[in-house]
Amino acid sequence: METSAAGLEKAIKAIKIGLSLPEQDHLHRELEELLGWLEPLLAFNTGETEPLLFGHEAVNVLREDHPQEGRLAELQEAAPNFAGGFYLVPKIMD
Amino acid sequence: MELRKTTVRQAADAVWKGEITAHQLIEKTLKNCSVLNEGLNIFTYLAGIDAVEQAKAVDQKIKNGEKPPLAGIPVAVKDDLCYGVLPTGLGSPAFSEFISPVTAAAVERLMEAGAVVIGKTNLDDMGQGSTTLSSPNGPTVNPWLAGRTAGSAGAAAVATGVCMLAVESDSGGALRQGASHCGVAGLRPTTGRVSRHGLNAHCSSFARVGITAFSGEDISEVLDLISGFDERDAATAVCREGISEIIKAPGSKDITIGYPVTAFDYLEPELREIFEQARERFAEGGYRIEEVDLGLLREGLLAYYVIAMAEAFSNHARFDGIRFGKTAEADSLEEMYEQSRAEILGREARRRSIFGAFLLSKDNYGRYYRQALKIWEMVRQEFETVFERCDLLMLPAARSLPRSLEGESGFLEGWSEDLYCAPVSLSGMPALTIPAGQVDQLPVGMQLVGPPFSEKMLLAVGSASGSTGK
Repeated sequence: METSAAGLEKAIKAIKIGLSLPEQDHLHRELEELLGWLEPLLAFNTGETEPLLFGHEAVNVLREDHPQEGRLAELQEAAPNFAGGFYLVPKIMD
Repeated sequence: MELRKTTVRQAADAVWKGEITAHQLIEKTLKNCSVLNEGLNIFTYLAGIDAVEQAKAVDQKIKNGEKPPLAGIPVAVKDDLCYGVLPTGLGSPAFSEFISPVTAAAVERLMEAGAVVIGKTNLDDMGQGSTTLSSPNGPTVNPWLAGRTAGSAGAAAVATGVCMLAVESDSGGALRQGASHCGVAGLRPTTGRVSRHGLNAHCSSFARVGITAFSGEDISEVLDLISGFDERDAATAVCREGISEIIKAPGSKDITIGYPVTAFDYLEPELREIFEQARERFAEGGYRIEEVDLGLLREGLLAYYVIAMAEAFSNHARFDGIRFGKTAEADSLEEMYEQSRAEILGREARRRSIFGAFLLSKDNYGRYYRQALKIWEMVRQEFETVFERCDLLMLPAARSLPRSLEGESGFLEGWSEDLYCAPVSLSGMPALTIPAGQVDQLPVGMQLVGPPFSEKMLLAVGSASGSTGK
């Protein structure tokens, strides 16, 4: 199993966030604290209990299948940059 | 009209009868909000002209012969619930100007009933916390004792009397602990009763939309108005065919209250005494008290945090500067994402997202996440077993008195405050916080927890038993 430091590095990469080295060190100390805090969870005997996946008995909400105008214009306004039907990202090729 | 001495019913009656117009009521409310906000930091945005326009529309409806049930009632909305006129700040500087294209279902329904949105209330970083201490706007001060946190800004708004209702989210207990710390009533409803449409949930499995008010009686006026099926939230499908409400009259021998003796061991003696006194009051009031076992509180708290962090990792993924938030200037696409997200996610949101990703990794998924899902099921079963013998259960809302605004404390200390609320969130059952007593000039609240759709019984018992925050 990989170390908590290696796992943390991967996690930071996974969420795509820029952190300074002191911040990463601080998070590593906090992660160690967290893993200690969670020890009783690992030690707890859950026997044959099946994991709960949904806290409620949600069912599919079926709508009538007909074309709707939608709210694209409103959603475009909420995005930082939007043009020609696309969300804009910075250029990555010259 | 002094709102702190008036019920929602009385205030709406006064507006119907023309004793005061909705416009006058809201003008006065806005003035009070501005004054109190300077000292207490309750609101992130005040509605101002928009609130006045809403109030004028209510007055017009009354002139037209309509009787909106919440005519002119001022409502505060937590800033993780969308209201299409004011920014939805989410406790992140990157969203300070974000106007959502939608309005939360619960807010829409309150406005249809004549309530007037007067502002958005402060919250923790991305709504993650029960103190407002991680808010980029600074913490909300407890109206009972400066120097302590209010827990939730909506509860502070109600306790000070600047508004009569607050619509708030509750995942691990922010609404319920806020009500406890401010001496008011707060209801977290059963899963599926109130639509979550328009709520920016960091933790979809446990986030619910609830109501804070002066008293259970005031919440009763509102509950039906915001409840029911909404095709935009699949969990409310349970309401489509009508729900079976559990209703029993307060003070009746028919009501058995569960008292989980060992649960109170985590409390300091002066807090424990409050609950012993509450137990005695219930017994004197004619309720049957039954000692029950609730042994999974600690494991429930830990499981809640594992699942909540995993879901925060997923739910925060959309805040990338492209779909939501501000796009950071950067030389490369990768840097743009990293910088945008660093500007959007504050310290608490980063911590939970990163730890969530860690706990979901190949090495940790089975050990932590799957284990947490099993404990979730065990906690749900434990509550079900309790309600085979009892009609409701009394529990503290918070583990200690409101935290100090000064001084740093560890993040786990803060999370541990959710000991009594997080397991109830796992159970999916409704909980009402009502004032139970006072320690050191600060109110202490208790949760009344009931089986699914027992809100009306909880509110009836709570209204008859708890003191109000007035």
